[in-house]
Amino acid sequence: MKTNKNQPSLTRASRRTVMKGVLAGSLLTPFGLVHLRAQDSQMSNSSPLTSASHTQGISDNEIVLGTSAAFTGPSRGLGIELYRGAMAYFQHVNENGGVHGRKIVLKLYDDTYNADPAVENTMKLMLEDQVFALFGYVGTPTVTRVLPLLKKFQEQEFVLFFPFTGAQPQRQPPYGPFAFNLRASYRQETAGLVDNFVGIGRKKIGVFYQADAYGRSGWAGVREALSKHHLKIVGEVTYKRGEKFTNSYEAQVERLNRDKPEAVICIGAYAACAGFLRDAVDGDLKVPIANLSFVGSENLLKLIVDSQEDPGEYSRYLVNSQVVPSYEDLSLAGIAQYDDFMQKFNPGLPPQWADSDYKTFDRSFVSLEGFINARLMTEILQRIGPEPTRGKIEEAVFTIDNLDLGIGEMVSFNEARRQGLDKVYYTIVDRDKNVFVPLREGEWSKVF
Amino acid sequence: MRLLRLFQKPFFGIISLFFLVAFATSLVCISAVDSQLSKEYTENSEGLARSIADSSVDILLNRDLSTLQALIDKSLDIQGISYIYITNENREILAHTFVPFVPDEVLQGIEELFQIDPSSPVHRPLNLSGIGDFLEVSFPILRSEAGRVQILMDQDNISLKIQNAIGQQVIWMAIILTVGFFLVLILVNLTYNPIRETLNYATGLARGESMEDPKIQTLLERKDETGDLARLFQYFASVRDPDKTGRLPGKKEE
Repeated sequence: MKTNKNQPSLTRASRRTVMKGVLAGSLLTPFGLVHLRAQDSQMSNSSPLTSASHTQGISDNEIVLGTSAAFTGPSRGLGIELYRGAMAYFQHVNENGGVHGRKIVLKLYDDTYNADPAVENTMKLMLEDQVFALFGYVGTPTVTRVLPLLKKFQEQEFVLFFPFTGAQPQRQPPYGPFAFNLRASYRQETAGLVDNFVGIGRKKIGVFYQADAYGRSGWAGVREALSKHHLKIVGEVTYKRGEKFTNSYEAQVERLNRDKPEAVICIGAYAACAGFLRDAVDGDLKVPIANLSFVGSENLLKLIVDSQEDPGEYSRYLVNSQVVPSYEDLSLAGIAQYDDFMQKFNPGLPPQWADSDYKTFDRSFVSLEGFINARLMTEILQRIGPEPTRGKIEEAVFTIDNLDLGIGEMVSFNEARRQGLDKVYYTIVDRDKNVFVPLREGEWSKVF
Repeated sequence: MRLLRLFQKPFFGIISLFFLVAFATSLVCISAVDSQLSKEYTENSEGLARSIADSSVDILLNRDLSTLQALIDKSLDIQGISYIYITNENREILAHTFVPFVPDEVLQGIEELFQIDPSSPVHRPLNLSGIGDFLEVSFPILRSEAGRVQILMDQDNISLKIQNAIGQQVIWMAIILTVGFFLVLILVNLTYNPIRETLNYATGLARGESMEDPKIQTLLERKDETGDLARLFQYFASVRDPDKTGRLPGKKEE
């Protein structure tokens, strides 16, 4: 039986005490737990991981990664599609023998895109399930609250890989050292949108944002980008996290109409942003309406297409930034592989929520991001070697230098760089096919 | 159940006194709850504003605003606090919790907060049209050099609590009043019965009726004032007509 210097030092009793302390005051919400094998649907036999050889989420047969994301609620499309994309690649890896003979297993919890359940789930993943690493979290308000836990238990060397958020807290001190990001940041996305709008003469920019850490992060990005052009946000309106498409956003539109913006940047999730687009066009706020990658572009478009007689009249104003290339661009090897694996494996919903009425997408920007995340995660696990410990993670990640994931941009990490990709892409809706297509440089002025 | 005329005035006097006490107690309660809650809310808000202001220095100077937003979002869980917003030294709102937008009254009042006293907490009432009345507590960040933290407490919430407290008090008073009313009636009737019997006895004596009823015997054996009165009537009657008085108290017929 192996022992390890990184074995958790907390006793079970003290862990319980710490959990109680940290979770004091938190709402206990129902959570779902699934324990998935990529190759088959049997429950893992490695839980709970009690023996020394099973510490750190590693057994002879498995590497267990822990995820807390939205699998139910108004933002479930984000968690589900990110999971499906990742599973498409992990299933391929597991079918081909895994990583150093170990299959990659995801342990999933639902946080409904809310901070308190996310904290609770993370405590369970770290202290009870003792996963090897955290992977594929969704959302800024959730991740922002989870980061202090990583610092609190830093002696156990947990690392958060590739959260689906472009916010700053996991990109800068004091929590930067506890996470690795792959996607470009919201600052980069908002700066790109602002620069392009200003470039075509649309200098009066309004903001519609979620009233939380995510919205604030995007708002700050827009503000900062505008200040470089000596401009300010002309009007801003908010909505509460979790609001639905069917809610009214007329108050926000009315307020923005007062400020007469020439473009609006939305920092929100798909349900609210789709509702805002609907009410904006209906309320005569007919200006380009931009969304960040987090929005879940396909989910947003589906709500518009399903609810409007003439969806093109609404989608014509959309311009969404993305942090991965278009899944239509099959000339890129990584995209072609994604397209191939999504068709081949066609991952379903997480088993725990398999009876959900959620309709999956064949392809989407979110699942593509999940796929790329999984591909890089697999590469990192390969580089850690056949005897993985959490202590080896950082060293392995820093060996990645100009790694080609087949998406047209090389990935590098080092001490000063904990974010793999920087490129931001822009997409508009092809109104005949109702799909997002690339909007290339120089085309902005023609479209808007 | 009929109320003896003898007790009518004292009874209604007691009821009036009860209502007076209830009214006075309610007034005292309103005043106490209002001042106590307002004081408590204000102190809590100022403490929270101070705490956020202290934390904000580091965040404002070194970190992303999303962290600041997460900090104030979490503070909204505290009861009575409706909105929080943080301004920088340029009077710009850097983080807030207003939905769907920051009210005009808030935007227009920011400059005044910096003017009143840059280095001290400020408390002021604030009406937001269509939303309600609030008490605004503002606390400086680095003597307002880095901005200020503002917390808006819902005055309607305090009013609601007062209403709840008064409502509960009124309910309890009404219950006590109802129970007391019936209790008084029962007690009065308990007193009324021997008086009525004494009255009947005296009336019978006056009419010269024979008083052999067992109730009369019980009445004459009572140790209280009605027993004394009955025996007195018996004595007067015996003086007038010894054959129709029944028996004397304590003496068995042979």
